Amino acid sequence: MKKSEPLSESTFYILLCLARGDNHGYGIMQMTAKLTGGEVTIGSGTMYGATDNMMKKGWIRETVSGGAGMERRRLYHLTDAGREALRAETARLRRMLENAEEA
Amino acid sequence: MSMQYKRRYGVYSAWNYGKEIEDLNRASDEGWQLVRGGCFSSKFVKNPDVRYRYQLDYGKIEDMGRYIETFREQGWEYVNSIFNGWHYFRKLYDPSRPAEEYEIFTDRESLQEMNRRWARLALVIAASVGVLALIWTVWMLWRPSLPVLIQLLMFASESAILLYGSRIMYSPDGKRSRRGDGVLLAAFLAVIILGCTASITLRMTRPATVTSQQTDSIEEPVVDSRWADFTVRYPDFYYLDLEMEAEEPMTFSVLSESGEVVYTETGTSFHRDGIRLRLPRGEYCFSISCTTGFRVACGLH
Repeated sequence: MKKSEPLSESTFYILLCLARGDNHGYGIMQMTAKLTGGEVTIGSGTMYGATDNMMKKGWIRETVSGGAGMERRRLYHLTDAGREALRAETARLRRMLENAEEA
Repeated sequence: MSMQYKRRYGVYSAWNYGKEIEDLNRASDEGWQLVRGGCFSSKFVKNPDVRYRYQLDYGKIEDMGRYIETFREQGWEYVNSIFNGWHYFRKLYDPSRPAEEYEIFTDRESLQEMNRRWARLALVIAASVGVLALIWTVWMLWRPSLPVLIQLLMFASESAILLYGSRIMYSPDGKRSRRGDGVLLAAFLAVIILGCTASITLRMTRPATVTSQQTDSIEEPVVDSRWADFTVRYPDFYYLDLEMEAEEPMTFSVLSESGEVVYTETGTSFHRDGIRLRLPRGEYCFSISCTTGFRVACGLH
């Protein structure tokens, strides 16, 4: 099995936020800031680059928020491949953490 | 009230985009707001009531709608893009907000990714121009001349400066260079334009004489028969292609306007291309002397 590259912090948090449901860029940014107590912020250039890369990899795809009377917005949706990438990265981080704690 | 505009001319090297951002921010603080960024000239409008912070992004954007929306969500206003792939954004400045709100790249990876997008392209161009420089070097060794030398120097320096720029943009610290080398870059561009013009002019003003003469038999010997005047406008190496045949030895010469022989060849059968002649500026002509029927074909370039 091909060993996957560690994800950047921004990529990881975007996946994590989307695992909780479809969201738009601004929502992801705010949720990330909230989750990390403001430690991690995702600027617009970083957000666009990361989502672009992940769409190319097939980890996320674009959808549009529906519903009558609601403002139509672009949302990102986590695909099964994206969920798997998040799981693999979480496992990697957990192993590192466990190793660190054993030491 | 009529709007007051101004244009600012100048160039920034791509690896110095941090300097351009600083300059745009300073202009904004002084009341001049960028409305259109450009390669060589930027347009500003006077408005002392607002302050903006500017940012630049580089890359080919496939989905412009999503791109602009991603920036707008965080308060960035899209200003414009220039054809070579740079995009200008601005955000209203509130000094009480944290500085990171005025950054568009918030991790090292994405900033490096952006820098490397530019560096990769620069490297490809540097390599292509480098190949041209190599070809021109071989050409220069084979048949040296001024226009070829000038082109070679231009290709070599273009390749070198792009290589230098891509090295900076590839540098792992991901920091933007903040030195101002606008004057140097403008001078370099001027030299390139001047060099292009010079090499084209030098090439176009070279003599390009191709001529031939042929007679099966002659009644009396031909002595110093001159033909095909041409002008050399600048001293350089010029190249003669010569082919001659005659039953008895004949003489072919290149003469200067004072009648001085700058090249001469005698024989019954002779063929050589690219004979190198070092000619000062002046008027020249070809001359033949022979006693029998002959054929001569020559070209000078």
